[in-house]
Amino acid sequence: MTKLAIDLVQNTLDGVMVGSSYALLALGFTLIFGTMRRLNLAYGPTIMAGAYLGTYAFLHLGFGAFPVAVLVLIGAALAGLYVERLCFRPFAQTAAMASMVSSFAVWMQIEEAASLALPRHLNAFPALVSGSLQLGPFFVRLDHLLMLAVAASATLLVHWALYRTRFGLGIRTVIDHRHAAALVGVPVTRILLLAFVLASTVGGLAGFLIAASEAQITPMFGMWATTKGLIAMMLGGLGSVPGALVGGLALGIIEAQAQWLLGPHLRDLVAWGLLFAVLALWPGGLMGAAGVDEAAAVQRRV
Amino acid sequence: MLDVVDVATSYGKIEALKGVSLGVAKGRVTCLLGPNGAGKSTLMFTIAGILKPRRGSIRLDGDEITGLSSAKIVARGLALVPENRLVFPQMSVKENLAAGAYQRRDAPGIAEDVERMYSRFPRLAERRDQLAGTLSGGEQQMLAVARALMSRPRVLLMDEPSLGLAPMMVEEVFRIVADLNREGVTIFLVEQNAHMALKVAHHFYLLEQGLVTFSGEPGKLAEDEVIQRAYLGSRRAEA
Repeated sequence: MTKLAIDLVQNTLDGVMVGSSYALLALGFTLIFGTMRRLNLAYGPTIMAGAYLGTYAFLHLGFGAFPVAVLVLIGAALAGLYVERLCFRPFAQTAAMASMVSSFAVWMQIEEAASLALPRHLNAFPALVSGSLQLGPFFVRLDHLLMLAVAASATLLVHWALYRTRFGLGIRTVIDHRHAAALVGVPVTRILLLAFVLASTVGGLAGFLIAASEAQITPMFGMWATTKGLIAMMLGGLGSVPGALVGGLALGIIEAQAQWLLGPHLRDLVAWGLLFAVLALWPGGLMGAAGVDEAAAVQRRV
Repeated sequence: MLDVVDVATSYGKIEALKGVSLGVAKGRVTCLLGPNGAGKSTLMFTIAGILKPRRGSIRLDGDEITGLSSAKIVARGLALVPENRLVFPQMSVKENLAAGAYQRRDAPGIAEDVERMYSRFPRLAERRDQLAGTLSGGEQQMLAVARALMSRPRVLLMDEPSLGLAPMMVEEVFRIVADLNREGVTIFLVEQNAHMALKVAHHFYLLEQGLVTFSGEPGKLAEDEVIQRAYLGSRRAEA
């Protein structure tokens, strides 16, 4: 195998590993967007709140990686509950701007709270495992492998919940047609809250995996998670579960290639450029064409 | 069976229902006629718990259901087939039927009822794995009816089930209404197609500008005048 081919495959491997956590981020984001039809800018900060709770317990109470993971999930779920009650429940579905702006305010609030709790900008976060595995000419970080395994399992679990449980049926009816969902007896308000909390918890898991692989965290993690989740979600198509997976993996792979080709400082620029290109050329996202058709179908009916 | 007493519903400052009282008798087909904008769909949504009335009382078998959530009302045994059908377009026929049974927890009974719907509506059986959004208008209407029946309603509300359908499908819809009623389902039907509706109805009400202005049984002398009023209003609005 040539040196170039080895590099490209290695980048793709790295990209798939990191992309699996992007996919998990996007999955949470898309569940919120799909059910609410409104953008939650506080999504990343919600995750950051959970991660800060975990890192606080790690630094001050000596918690290990596993109890920290549990705390991160609980913290993200509670922060999600807070955001839903404050930014989404009080406003009508049509008042998308009110929800978006208030979620921005909550973002700032959570960032401030995190800085007050742990005043240092950079804080240590428990790492999972170290070392790497050699497969022929390729190297795989063990913690990235674990990330891939956990993200894939969590995705399968969410998929199972969505397609095999009554709660999942409720979520899917709300995503598909909220008004009809109420008519067939789905308790829409409760489903919205539970889906929001589920999505925040999924995001919390992604946040834990990412922070653990970096072994550090800053208050900027909230913004980072919102933007990565947003790009991955938009790439795949708003409100589409398969789209979130494809978008997350695609973003991971493209970033890894860009970093190799152009250097780490241009990596995020490529991600943003990609988002712009997809929105301009393919506004439904890679998997979201059906969503666009649905909007058109609703227009026709009205 | 279903009693509506002095119900008033507003959209902001616009009063769509101004104190409607009517009754739907058990085992009967009751029809609500009236021109466009009279408040027929508003009344349906109010009974189904989607809209909250400003005043008045709605009772199902004597139990107050006013102000209950739509989910609780479905659980009590009242289902609405909405105007324009509102099937779940991105879900299969099978999943639409499952969604209709959301308030039920008896899995074997639900599976049985799905099969019953397939034998009643063979078109749906053929298309069970197809997305509902790709069905024809008539098939979507069948699905909307079947979905509502999946909740095993005691009272079935139907809002303009013949709207936008080809004449043959319209006949089919009214045949289904008559069949269901023969099997014991109480039906409250809103229709623009007064001629067809009065063929299946045992009793009818005329709603004009948010008020019940006439009530009676088909076949009486007043029927012609009522049809005129129901139609003329709609014809004018459409022109």
